[in-house]
Amino acid sequence: MRLYLRLAWRNLWRHTRRTVIIVVAMALSLALMMLYDGLVDGFSQAIYGNAVRVLGGNIQVHAAGYRAKVDSNPMIPLPDAEAVVQQALESDAVWVAARRIRTGGLLSNREGAFPVTIVGIDPEVEAPVSLIAEHISAGRFLMASDTDSVLVGKGLAEAMELQVGDRLTLVGSDLHKQNRQRTATVIGIYDLGLPSSEKSIAYISLAEAQALFDLTNQATEIQITLRQLGTEDDTVSALTPRLPGYEVESWEQNYPELGNALGSKNAVMSIFSVILVVIAGIGILNLLLMAVYERTREIGLLGALGVKPRQIALIFILEGSLIGLVGVALGILVGLVLNGSLGRVGLDYSQFAGMTEYMALISGKVYPTAGTGNLLGRGLTVLIISTLAAFVPAIEAARREPAEALHYV
Amino acid sequence: MIQTLKMAWRNLGRNRRRSLLSSLAVSFGAALLLLMAAVLRGEMRGAIQNTIRLQSGHLQIRALSYDENKVSLAWEDLIAGPDAVIQQLSAIPQVKTATPRLIASGILTLGDQSRGVQVVGIDPDSPANQVFRSGILAGSFLDAGDREGILVGRPLAENFGLQPGDQVSVLVNTSDGTVDEQLFAVRGVYSTNTSAYDEGTVFMPLAKAQTFSRAQDHASSIFILLREQEQAEAVAAAIQSQAYQVLTWQSMNELIVQTEEFAGAYMVILYFIVLGITATVVTNTLVMAVFERTREIGILSALGMKGRQIMAGFLAEAGLLATGGVIGGLLLGGLAVAYFARYGFYIGDFGMTGILLGDTIYAYLTAQDALSLSAATYIITLAAAFYPASLAARLEPAEALHAH
Repeated sequence: MRLYLRLAWRNLWRHTRRTVIIVVAMALSLALMMLYDGLVDGFSQAIYGNAVRVLGGNIQVHAAGYRAKVDSNPMIPLPDAEAVVQQALESDAVWVAARRIRTGGLLSNREGAFPVTIVGIDPEVEAPVSLIAEHISAGRFLMASDTDSVLVGKGLAEAMELQVGDRLTLVGSDLHKQNRQRTATVIGIYDLGLPSSEKSIAYISLAEAQALFDLTNQATEIQITLRQLGTEDDTVSALTPRLPGYEVESWEQNYPELGNALGSKNAVMSIFSVILVVIAGIGILNLLLMAVYERTREIGLLGALGVKPRQIALIFILEGSLIGLVGVALGILVGLVLNGSLGRVGLDYSQFAGMTEYMALISGKVYPTAGTGNLLGRGLTVLIISTLAAFVPAIEAARREPAEALHYV
Repeated sequence: MIQTLKMAWRNLGRNRRRSLLSSLAVSFGAALLLLMAAVLRGEMRGAIQNTIRLQSGHLQIRALSYDENKVSLAWEDLIAGPDAVIQQLSAIPQVKTATPRLIASGILTLGDQSRGVQVVGIDPDSPANQVFRSGILAGSFLDAGDREGILVGRPLAENFGLQPGDQVSVLVNTSDGTVDEQLFAVRGVYSTNTSAYDEGTVFMPLAKAQTFSRAQDHASSIFILLREQEQAEAVAAAIQSQAYQVLTWQSMNELIVQTEEFAGAYMVILYFIVLGITATVVTNTLVMAVFERTREIGILSALGMKGRQIMAGFLAEAGLLATGGVIGGLLLGGLAVAYFARYGFYIGDFGMTGILLGDTIYAYLTAQDALSLSAATYIITLAAAFYPASLAARLEPAEALHAH
């Protein structure tokens, strides 16, 4: 086997020019496919990446039964919120664990009415890790002692023409399935640059939420902030056995609509990318066919020297795979450079920035990712095609009468 | 010229399999471009048709100060006495139907679950609301006099586990800037196959919505369907008045048009990637062919053929490949588009706000897209042949003759 490999490798570089052409074709095709993947990924991330920024590094603990109704803001108090906080803080990965009350509600004033999620937070606990606290554009962040105060996003403030100090009506459903209404004063306005998500959440202090929704000393959610992004899954699996009867989930599971949108977008895009592989595959197949047929005479010579057809086929197939390997390696290199440089510059879509409302969470620029998500599949496809492409002509050539093949021009 | 083409044709014929594969690669490239363009167009066209059907209509009349993003119910933001306006409208021959709608923000509450919804008061007897009537999946449609019945969309009904006959609590904002709440019975569950709309829209009869939200004899907007979509501008100009704002479906759908432009700008890059791969295939195959035929080219030039002519020969080959490829691409792409135009891509709830994407995208290919993408494929394929062709033209005859 070693011998055949060596033979095949040498053969490859005996025809440097031909090999280079094939390798370049493979590499470019692969690199372009990576660019495609990188762009598609980058685009999704531009839309949803901010969601990761806002929600990432977070785990939430809810009472049993929450998950099944996640779309409709169920209000299920945690059996023992304090115990959950204690448990969570025992883990090294956890930075902060804070109690929250979350419910569906409505804010209204003379300008109109807006359905929102009302979140009661423990301001002193959350302040150090809160993105909201970092981005207060007017007024101030909440304090535990605040009553009749609400913190709203800039998007909502603009729509309702609210200033700090303005009054509005806040409605939310309480534990007894009653809607509770209260007049509240805007104490601060936060600005994340994400108008549509700002529009949908308003914050009040936990104490006020407990009073308003009849949840004395209770909470419906524990918000856990991790020290490091990307440790969500490990922490979830570590916490789950320690919290029986609770649902421990990362943000991805708690915001299923984000996952769905990404999934279906990818489904359409992957149909396109399969066709892309087919195009590249046809090209590579073609080149390899040409290369092997060009060497019919050489094959005849090998046959005349007594090399068995099986062995001839093996050499050629090995050549095909080797060339595939080289092509894939070069392709990955070129692709990374391509995506890396584009990823640094970014594609400027800021002329469409007016659409940020609709695009949910997109900001002005789209940065392609490394595009390595589908790399294994794509690289393997190129490799398999190059092996297969060598297979057919190699068998055909190996079967030929040496004498005839020798005379082939 | 004809001579060149003939020679190119024969050269291609010398290695049929290779020529076929090359032009097949071009075909797939062109087909993919067509499909991508058709899916994008279809998506946006579907969104516009959905919006017109469900939300915007062809024309809408609103009070001057009404802002659709605020869902205000203050009287000064509403149309007073909509019936009189509709009476006038129905005298216009282009108007198919006009109906008042009252829109309030609300919360639907059932047990410990609640969700923000838009509560829309409609006139159940208006033909404009036939789309909801025919979308009833369970239970019945509303009666104009019904004072405690609502319709909910399928996704909402599923989330809340609602059946016709179930009671839910609905809270809405009111004209005086506060809120009111009442129990309603679910009369029916509807679906418009547009999850983005269905999951957040609850209907009740207009009269009930007016008393519930204290809007009395006011409406948020008058929803108008025309006989012909194209007449919107003309009719809008005809009914323009000092007292109201008249909006056409074009202006109400600016967001979608903008989105389409945005998506188009993004797609162009993807198109170039596809064409880049196709071009790589063509260039490399031809380069290989040039090396393969080095001796032959040497003989040709030794016989006095000029570099220019040799180049023309290769370009002609590429032109023929491109022609075959584009024709094949139109066929393949046409078939793929026809399939997806019929059965569509099911994308489900896309989770986007502000734009009513249907649950299924039906591909839609315009002649203009087909033409410009075919032309792009053709040009790129020809351009890809330039390097190999000039390579062939520059070969030194004496050296080329000695190649093996």
